[in-house]
Amino acid sequence: MTERATGLLLIGATLLAYQLGLLLYRRAARRVWLHPLLTGTLLMALLLTALNISFAEYRQHTLLFDQLLGLATVALALPLHREFHHLKAFIGPVTVTVIFGGLVACATALGLAALAGGSHELLLALAPKSVTTPIALSIAEQLNANTGLTTGVVIFTGILGALMAPLAFRVTGLQDPRSQGLVLGINAHGVGTARAFETNPITGAFASLAMGLTGAFTALWLPATVQALTRGF
Amino acid sequence: MIPGLLILIAYQLVGELISYWLNWPIPGPVVGMLLLLASLRLGAVLWPRGWLVATETAGKALIDNLSLLFLPAGVGIFFLPDHIQAQWPAVLAAIVLATFISMVLCAILLRWLSRHHD
Repeated sequence: MTERATGLLLIGATLLAYQLGLLLYRRAARRVWLHPLLTGTLLMALLLTALNISFAEYRQHTLLFDQLLGLATVALALPLHREFHHLKAFIGPVTVTVIFGGLVACATALGLAALAGGSHELLLALAPKSVTTPIALSIAEQLNANTGLTTGVVIFTGILGALMAPLAFRVTGLQDPRSQGLVLGINAHGVGTARAFETNPITGAFASLAMGLTGAFTALWLPATVQALTRGF
Repeated sequence: MIPGLLILIAYQLVGELISYWLNWPIPGPVVGMLLLLASLRLGAVLWPRGWLVATETAGKALIDNLSLLFLPAGVGIFFLPDHIQAQWPAVLAAIVLATFISMVLCAILLRWLSRHHD
């Protein structure tokens, strides 16, 4: 097959895998463990294995998606701008929790993974796990981490975070929709935000705010800190 | 739609250049996002009024399909090198346990903050 035909086939297959995942997700009343990212990536992995196409080759043909991801990141400024008045009214708790949560999400992941015997390479890829994927990918690139691993970790963190959030809210008795949105956006980024919008529009607005702010905050401190630490050794 | 994409591309390009020139650790798209937010907040939009609507349209299309855009990179989790696969307990500890602990800690902090806020 020609290069162009292979590329077209792989882009088409990616769209189809996502669309099938989306249909299944909607039919299953948006159960989080059937998130189209989960089913879509699994379908694509099976297809690549069946066609004997390497992941590296697949990525070469799907760089278009990464370009669009950059633009989508810029576009996150739009919901941030739209919900700015909500942010202003709750600015204190938002700021404190985003800073605290951004640090804690990273620290708990690194701490527990190190305790469980994770290697230096794995820890680097895990560091941005709670950050929205486009930002996590940029951070991973700057840390020279395995970007495929980071993306996978980020996506599964989002899915599992959204899945475990109701339990965390019950354990702590957290009922305020603004606060619930913040917890989801800080710890489960885009997937958590999508779930938050399904609960309540205010929860969704705060989740997208928290997602954007946590991403920007982490992009500001994490690469610089790791570079400084690595230089120190 | 097209003017909207042009605006997003312009902001990302400026972001990439700033990030490159200043040798910043902040990725170009994030700088672009912060610049766009600042422009919108300050009302300092130099483009025609209709272009803002086009930017909303393009932005909504991208954000609505955000999951799709990171699907190709996400497939990577099924093709990890063997030495990473061998460390699955560490991966699970970080994704499951650490995420839950972090959520609970954030929730406790928010309950405490809300009590003092309202």
